[in-house]
Amino acid sequence: MTSRRPSVQDVPTDLRAAASRRAAAAKRWVRDYRSRTADGAVAMHVVVFTSVLATFGAFFAGSQWTVVPFLAFLASIGVGWVKYQAEAAKALTLLTTVATVAILALVVSFLVYESLPAIRARGLDLFTQVRNPAIDDPELGEGLWNRGDVWSLTPMMLGTAITTVIATVVAAPVGIAGAVFVSEIAPRRVREVVKPGIELMAGIPSITYGFVGLTILNQYFYAEFSTPTIGTYFAAGLMIGIMALPTVVTVAEDALNAVPESIKSGALAMGSTPWQTTKSVTIPAGLSGVSAGVLLGVGRAMGETMAATVMLTHTKGFPSPVFDVFSGYGETLTTVIAFEAGNASGLHKNVLFAAGACCS
Amino acid sequence: MSNATRNRIDGADSTAGDLLSRGVLATSVVVFFAAWTLLLQWVDETAAVGGVSALKLLGVGLVVVGVGLVVVGVGSRLGYVDTAPSKTAGVPVGVVFGLLWAAVGGLLGTLALGNAAVLWLPVAALFGLAGFLASVLPREDVGATVPGAVVLLLLGGFVAAGGVNAGWTWAPAWSSAVFPGSELVPILVVFATLLGAWCAGKANEGFGAEGRQAGAYYLVGAVVFAMLGVLALLVGFIVTNGLATMLTRASLAGGELTVPLVGVELPWPEFPFLTNPTGGLFVEVPGVLPAIIGTLWLVFGAVLFAVPLGIGAAVFLTEYAERGRLTQVVEVATNGLWSTPSIVFGLFGLAFLVPRISGGNAIFVGQLVLGFMLLPLVLITSREAILAVPDAHRDASAALGVTKWQTIRSVVLPAAMPGTITGVILGVGRIAGETAPLLLVFGGPPYPSTTPNVLGSFELTAQPPFVTNEALLSPASALPYQLYATITAGVFPKEIFTDTQFGWGTALVLLLVVVGLYAVGVGSRLYFRRKLHHE
Repeated sequence: MTSRRPSVQDVPTDLRAAASRRAAAAKRWVRDYRSRTADGAVAMHVVVFTSVLATFGAFFAGSQWTVVPFLAFLASIGVGWVKYQAEAAKALTLLTTVATVAILALVVSFLVYESLPAIRARGLDLFTQVRNPAIDDPELGEGLWNRGDVWSLTPMMLGTAITTVIATVVAAPVGIAGAVFVSEIAPRRVREVVKPGIELMAGIPSITYGFVGLTILNQYFYAEFSTPTIGTYFAAGLMIGIMALPTVVTVAEDALNAVPESIKSGALAMGSTPWQTTKSVTIPAGLSGVSAGVLLGVGRAMGETMAATVMLTHTKGFPSPVFDVFSGYGETLTTVIAFEAGNASGLHKNVLFAAGACCS
Repeated sequence: MSNATRNRIDGADSTAGDLLSRGVLATSVVVFFAAWTLLLQWVDETAAVGGVSALKLLGVGLVVVGVGLVVVGVGSRLGYVDTAPSKTAGVPVGVVFGLLWAAVGGLLGTLALGNAAVLWLPVAALFGLAGFLASVLPREDVGATVPGAVVLLLLGGFVAAGGVNAGWTWAPAWSSAVFPGSELVPILVVFATLLGAWCAGKANEGFGAEGRQAGAYYLVGAVVFAMLGVLALLVGFIVTNGLATMLTRASLAGGELTVPLVGVELPWPEFPFLTNPTGGLFVEVPGVLPAIIGTLWLVFGAVLFAVPLGIGAAVFLTEYAERGRLTQVVEVATNGLWSTPSIVFGLFGLAFLVPRISGGNAIFVGQLVLGFMLLPLVLITSREAILAVPDAHRDASAALGVTKWQTIRSVVLPAAMPGTITGVILGVGRIAGETAPLLLVFGGPPYPSTTPNVLGSFELTAQPPFVTNEALLSPASALPYQLYATITAGVFPKEIFTDTQFGWGTALVLLLVVVGLYAVGVGSRLYFRRKLHHE
């Protein structure tokens, strides 16, 4: 290899070369576009895109005149649809694509923008403070949430971690066993009943799981295991794990099904039993998909805030010892938002946005 | 002599060992279910069968399983039972039994020497090593049964001898909860019987590769059965509890329908729970009509917003755009939207949409937010459906001399419609049950007495928005939100239901709506997939 190492002096030259390449490409594209598009269609494109931009700008500024550029957009696209349908359709599909990306960009940027004041006010302490302010100033009382100017997300981060671990411990083995059963063991008849059944289960709303968990599981643990409160991390984690099961089974089963039949046949032809094939060939080959299924299922269930919101106690603090899953504390990042964002304002609201940025 | 012939002989006239292992298997299954009935509180822990308490019976069952396993294992080793074991049970079995023995050793160490890690940890390690070696060193028929059976015997014997009864409790220092024997024993027995079924399954097929397969299948089967059972119980619970509320004062011919113009009154089905408002002074049976109407409006608006956007973007990505940076960006964006927790959309709606549109909770904002959540699903599924349209169709259309857009409109989109519709139905099922964002941007009073009148509220004004709709800009109720509101509000205002009863009824209606949508979606997907493969 004799190529010269790139040095700092080359950067301007490279940049200039890249820019001129880009400019040439753009010029070519413009020439193509002009030659292939009728003048009226070009005018329509210009009016449509300008009016969309104006609509968004007016909406962003909160103007009540938003409707005017919006009407202009409707009129121009309507006229364009009648006269230049192909060009109008292409412009519309491009617009929808850009809108999809813009929505995500807006969501992310607003989340960050709204959580900035909280981070500015609390610094890294927002995510790391575990020291109780009551040690310095006994009048504040115990807790890290709304004590003077102290807001800390650490108890919720711990709560999220605990419930996630419990849910994974429940969902991973049972879900993988379910996937192996559906894809490898079950006879065709059984599979045709069980698989759509499990997919139906994935549709049960999380608030329904939460209601069942609240009225049955929480009461069960309170009555039989004498938990200090009605509602514990363990009960919530268990319910989230059950809630994640259908997704885990469906995704992991797809991954096992995607393992090529030829590999399985090869193993069977070597004289191994179906179980040896499943254990030593199919599962290792589909392992990435299976673990993705577990992550996706549990992540999905954690994102479906409602079950935990309904079941937990919304008491913020650190159980002692940390793995005491039956303690009286119960709050996760998502549940605190669902429970408090409705009537939060000022820094409190910004902290909740920081929690949202933390969990997405 | 090969395994195959030997097994066939076994099957032809079932030997004593075969019968024995089958008996052990059956006992394990029976005890497994018995433990579940205790856990689910269908049978009281203190209940006695023939003078023996239910807990003790579980213990006796475990002892029977353990003794049976030892007899089968040792009988096979001594040649009384015809089997085809491997040389060793294998490291995985050794690890499982080793861990179990370590747990037993830890417990014994704590009991004998006191609760200090320095004291019980060596004992546990010693026991674990012994368990591991005891299962790995002997031939498979002994190694795969006896070490496990010993654990079962210890546990079963302890319970059967009355060492643990329903009143016994265990309150470890690290836990705020107290574990009573009445719950702990059935939980342990469930796992112990799984172990027993695993070992007995192996023995039943005569050990070796076939035996291990049978054992694994029994284990997986039991776990899957328990999973399906729990899920079915959950649904069954909602149905049985909700049905009473939902059918309150309902009758198939109790209501009356007045035929317009003629004035004749006909008998008509009556479902007060589905057709009455929730609150209000003169409502006898509170119902969920406002929530149903609210859910319908939410779903309608979200579909109106997300479906054109999603299909348009899918068409652009598959037909117009070349694979490059733009398609990658859109893919990242869709995956990002898809994996964002729903509550975050609620936050976004609260911070961005609410101040600009309504200044408070509103149906319109709820529609937009749910539309954002529906968008990625519509995009992904319709894109897959469009990609699945064979290129031959496009080429044939192009050969007729039509333009690209005409091809897309008349060939590609119709062919992709079934897949897209399926995706939309599944997505609607998902957002119809979504609650979290609604809490922040949508929800109104917990017991609404009126239904949102969206159609009748359009008004023309001279002011800039020109068209206003008061109903769209005010809060309302939806089925999942109604359930949440009922849970949190606490006391139900009418005497006819408690809030829990009303909650069960709402949950059932919600379940019917969402699972109904899912059933249609899953069914249509199966139908179209089958049609695709048969052609």
